[in-house]
Amino acid sequence: MPRIYVHPLPVRIWHWINAFGFIAMIVTGFQIRYIGLIDLMSFRSAVVLHEWIGFVLIGNFFIWLIFYLFTDKIRVYHPELNPMKHFQSSLRQAMFYGYGIFKGDPNPHHVSVYEKFNSMQSMSYQVIMLLLVPLQFWTGVLLWDVKRFSGMIDVLGGVRVVDTAHVLIFIFFSGFIFMHIYLATLGHTRMAHITSMITGYEETPDEHGHAEANKH
Amino acid sequence: MAIRRSILNMNGTNFHAALITTARLALVVFALAVAGPGASAAGSALTQLDEQCLACHSTKGMDMKLANGDKLSLYVDGAAFGKSVHNKIGCAVCHASTSFENHPPVKKKSAGSREYSLEMNKVCESCHAPIFKLYDGSIHASLFRDGNSYAPVCTDCHSPHAVMAKSAYDTASGAPCSKCHDPIFQAYAGSVHGKATLGCSECHRAHNVKPAGDQLKGACFSCHPDAQESHQKWLPNAKRHFDAVSCPACHSPEAKRKVDLRLYDNVAQQSVAEKAGVPQFESRARSADKKGAGLDAMALHSLLREFNREGIDNKTTLRGRLEVSDGVDAHKLTRSAQAIRDCAKCHQQGADAFQSVTISIVGPDGRQLRYGAQPEVLNSIISVDSLSGFYAIGGTRIKLLDWLLALAVLGGLSVPIGHMTIRWLFKRYAKKIIGKEDS
Repeated sequence: MPRIYVHPLPVRIWHWINAFGFIAMIVTGFQIRYIGLIDLMSFRSAVVLHEWIGFVLIGNFFIWLIFYLFTDKIRVYHPELNPMKHFQSSLRQAMFYGYGIFKGDPNPHHVSVYEKFNSMQSMSYQVIMLLLVPLQFWTGVLLWDVKRFSGMIDVLGGVRVVDTAHVLIFIFFSGFIFMHIYLATLGHTRMAHITSMITGYEETPDEHGHAEANKH
Repeated sequence: MAIRRSILNMNGTNFHAALITTARLALVVFALAVAGPGASAAGSALTQLDEQCLACHSTKGMDMKLANGDKLSLYVDGAAFGKSVHNKIGCAVCHASTSFENHPPVKKKSAGSREYSLEMNKVCESCHAPIFKLYDGSIHASLFRDGNSYAPVCTDCHSPHAVMAKSAYDTASGAPCSKCHDPIFQAYAGSVHGKATLGCSECHRAHNVKPAGDQLKGACFSCHPDAQESHQKWLPNAKRHFDAVSCPACHSPEAKRKVDLRLYDNVAQQSVAEKAGVPQFESRARSADKKGAGLDAMALHSLLREFNREGIDNKTTLRGRLEVSDGVDAHKLTRSAQAIRDCAKCHQQGADAFQSVTISIVGPDGRQLRYGAQPEVLNSIISVDSLSGFYAIGGTRIKLLDWLLALAVLGGLSVPIGHMTIRWLFKRYAKKIIGKEDS
């Protein structure tokens, strides 16, 4: 089966640190917010872990950012500037996940080096990586030392406002993580996308092969 | 009334007080010089004139009936007076209005013992003007100005004829403070500070006694300068805790805790104070609290709107502070090893610290004026706006966000499960179709 190198090493390193880091952040986040209801560890341990992992993720974010800023791979995130075209391809992708996939239709998106994301992915990953993740890091750092950043916190409307923003994004990620893992299993085999994020190579079955795989 | 005026206009009397003080001290020095080396050598020995006074006034049970029927004790313990810091100035300096011609006074009698104390306060002030200035800024003077008949004046704390240096504070009985604050003294006596036999004034000052509040934190740091540093070693967001949590809230572990939400002026960067003579806080709070059951989230929001009605938006906000519910508990301080270190004590829903909430403003006398609020104000979505400056993770979390989170997790789980189920059903359905076609 033909293979394409779509996930360079820095991206894979970033992805797996990010994946396990975010799971750890969600778990410790739950523990911090719901102590008494969940007792995996002490409140203080959860806070300390949450802070350390948070800083690791911030550093890790820059691996992703620097890699894409300084290589031509940034094209994978290039937005489709024609809204009608973008809407149509997104709708096609949504129709596939919402109906076509059940019938065994081929995935309308064909992976290539510079188009590894389908329309829905490219749009959602831009919102996540350029808005939600930085916002979560920023609010997290402010909450890490409320006194040190009290001036900025006051400008933003107070500690409760900052915390509410942090929790809202946490809520989004807590829901998103399940969807992300599930969508990762929708390759031509259940492990295809996950394996490609380890090896870097995405197998690209022809339409027939894909349809066959979906029938099993 | 006269003493009230003198306290209020202290600056104006400073010059006269200093003049009188100087003259009197000069007189004392002169008298001591005339009395000769014998008197000086005696140290605390009383002058001949004082002994003359004591000839009558050392009679136990000697008293005088005042106009309102109060009995004023005229007994003076000569030995105690001899040891007092006033022994050198003698009787006549304070009782200057007394002379052989008008003694005992038959015409001019004080209206009562309280009035007599106030009259004598003026005499104290004539020598101790700087102390009066300190007293003027105290909670005791504020109570006095408010007309509180129990507000202490000089002689309530300092036994008139046995005035001792401050080192004479009685650590065993807590006198003179325990005379009015006995329950607090009893709590303090069992505390780590009480056992170390510190005096009340170590934290509260002797004359400029301040009401409980942020200013007392300075007193803690004056003896525990490394407190912030030592807390930072184990307490996340330690400085924030120092801002929003009073020391006894953790160091008096058995105390009942509560949240006080203080009106804060964001522009002036200080607590909002009730204007003297124009009380607004309570009337506004009562008007917002239509049910009279304590301010709920909406009522609190409208109260804040009232305070922001004129002027800049969001000028007045609320800053929360976790503190102990009463002064007695505030004095039951323990050794640091026994202090609360378990974060879960406060950082979980239903924590006792968040079951009692008040809204407050600084009153004209410096004390907080409080109005009750319902605990739900801490967990309401409306509080994101009205209570933006106070948040304790877990303990004051917004309930609506809990529901949103449950929905997100449920959605995150059910969408893949639903999708997988439909895929499985389709496969089964397709097989049946294929099977039928084959047959």
